[in-house]
Amino acid sequence: MAISPAEASEIVRKKDIRSRWLLSAPALILIAVAGVGPLLIVVVYSFLAPGNYGDVKWEFSTEAWFNVLLSRDIFDDTVTLADAHLSIFLRSIQLAIVTTVLCVVFGFPTAYFIATRPIHTRQIWLFLITIPFWTNMLIRAFAIQEVIRNEGIVNSLLMGLGLIAAPIPMMFSDFAILVGMTYVFLPLMVLPLYASIDKLDFRLIEAAYDLYASRFNVLMRVIVPLVKPGLIAGSILVFIPALSSYVIPRVLGGGKNLMIGNLIELQFGQGRNWPLGASLSVTLVIIVLFAMLYYVRNASRSGGTHG
Amino acid sequence: MQNIVKDFGHFRAVNDVTLKIASNEFFTLLGPSGCGKTTLLRMIAGFEMPTKGSILLDGAGIASLPPNQRPINTVFQNYALFPHMTVADNIGFGLKMLGRPKAEIEKTVADMIRLVRLDGREKNLVTQLSGGQQQRVALARALAPQPKVLLLDEPLSALDLKLRKSMQIELKRLQMETGITFVFVTHDQEEALTMSDRIAVMSEGQVRQIGSPWEIYDRPAERFVADFIGETNFLTAEVVSVSGDRARVRLASGAEIPASFPANTTPSGKVTVVVRPEHARAAPVSGASVLRGTIHDIVYLGTDTHLHVVLEDGTPFMVRQQNARSGPCGYDKGETLGIELSDDVAQILRD
Repeated sequence: MAISPAEASEIVRKKDIRSRWLLSAPALILIAVAGVGPLLIVVVYSFLAPGNYGDVKWEFSTEAWFNVLLSRDIFDDTVTLADAHLSIFLRSIQLAIVTTVLCVVFGFPTAYFIATRPIHTRQIWLFLITIPFWTNMLIRAFAIQEVIRNEGIVNSLLMGLGLIAAPIPMMFSDFAILVGMTYVFLPLMVLPLYASIDKLDFRLIEAAYDLYASRFNVLMRVIVPLVKPGLIAGSILVFIPALSSYVIPRVLGGGKNLMIGNLIELQFGQGRNWPLGASLSVTLVIIVLFAMLYYVRNASRSGGTHG
Repeated sequence: MQNIVKDFGHFRAVNDVTLKIASNEFFTLLGPSGCGKTTLLRMIAGFEMPTKGSILLDGAGIASLPPNQRPINTVFQNYALFPHMTVADNIGFGLKMLGRPKAEIEKTVADMIRLVRLDGREKNLVTQLSGGQQQRVALARALAPQPKVLLLDEPLSALDLKLRKSMQIELKRLQMETGITFVFVTHDQEEALTMSDRIAVMSEGQVRQIGSPWEIYDRPAERFVADFIGETNFLTAEVVSVSGDRARVRLASGAEIPASFPANTTPSGKVTVVVRPEHARAAPVSGASVLRGTIHDIVYLGTDTHLHVVLEDGTPFMVRQQNARSGPCGYDKGETLGIELSDDVAQILRD
């Protein structure tokens, strides 16, 4: 049986394609089952009517989507903006942004410190950074509560030293939420930043000093532009979970300082409005998507073409 | 620089170095890797603080100033160009940091680009340039703020031979045109000899000899210098007489020849004399021969032929003959021949 070179290469090419599909199959199946599938279910649910005791009624309805942004008066059907939802969205976005900024402020020096240690001690520092991941986030949230509550470590220490007469109330506030989220998400900023700074050529910093740059200019004009990939990755890794954070605002923010995560949970729990919960979830995904697009595009533009 | 000492832990990288570098000079620190030359350069730049000693620039002490306050710029071994900036931004960086007006920066950058012949490349990212072009950007970047001293840390070592040769000429041209003092670090003796006004040969943290390329090559003071720079023949001899700055020495063969010796020394007794291979001539044994030996090996190198001779007392001796005519050199292995020396080519080493 004679095969022409063209046929042979065609056979090889087909085999090649098949083996590529086979190799990527596990990943594709996982994405379909664990990623796309559930998301589709959420989208479908957002277009259904709420059942009486939770769950959904299988009839098409846009009521849930209507309720995301607007609210209809029970008595006279006047339509107004859903202020409660909007303010929670806005607050969540603000808190997530501040958390991200705080993580950069604390994470950058930490990552820089680790990256400039001798190679054998770096492993220890990185290990220390990852230790908090061993503990459940809920338990860590309660641990923070123990630190900042009125009878907590900080207040008793300050009172013991006689610096304050009465405890400073810190719990159940945006401050408490920010402390909690910054603490919990800090490693997600430190690790990608460390990876970037580790690759930084420190001779470039010497070169900048040699060319009369001040310490501030070395940081802003040489270090930051060069570690931008890590900065972007870290910011994304912190911003997304911070925006959809649920446990931290629940434990440290008390009942009154809601974030989107709590609002969504409410719809599936006491609210018994699954379609509204689903549509709020999809809205959150859309917000994250646009925020990331906006951020990545801006970040890469201001940093020239590098990274 | 006066009595510079630099310790890294227990390791003394630079040991009691005193150097005086004149302005507008092309000064080279030459030595094998690990001899302390780069450490010395980094102390001049301000990246390292001397453990002891002082560094003066135009009479003012600068040893305690950070690098960004010294009118000294460096061309780094790996260039250390900012990869996120264009060629023009790299060159203008120093001036920008000095807070010069924008118009002045633009003009200087344009001048620099012309000086290093990178016209048309201003807007390129430095990562898009070839090694030789990056090298020129690094030069322009360091020259743009018009430093009093330009430090060059083996800047040519990453380039291939041809490019290195042309950059050597380019560097010398730039130094002449700008009138800036260049302090050049290299382990390549040929590079040092080609470009320098003066050379300091270093080893083990100390300066072994300072002098013009000619002095370093033809009048090495120590065995290390003679051995490190070029190829050389070591002969044992005995001093017969000394008059003025010349001595007469008797070689093992019994012949007496004139020899120079380092200043501030008075040679006597048994000494080592060096003769460069190209300063010796191979000829049939005659009255003019000062040495005699058998040819052990003949190495043809294109421009030259090296005759490896073993002298009567067993000492190896090499003669370099330029291949002025084409064809084989006319000698055979095992042949006995005489060696004649030109006048004034032997040099006595300091013990």
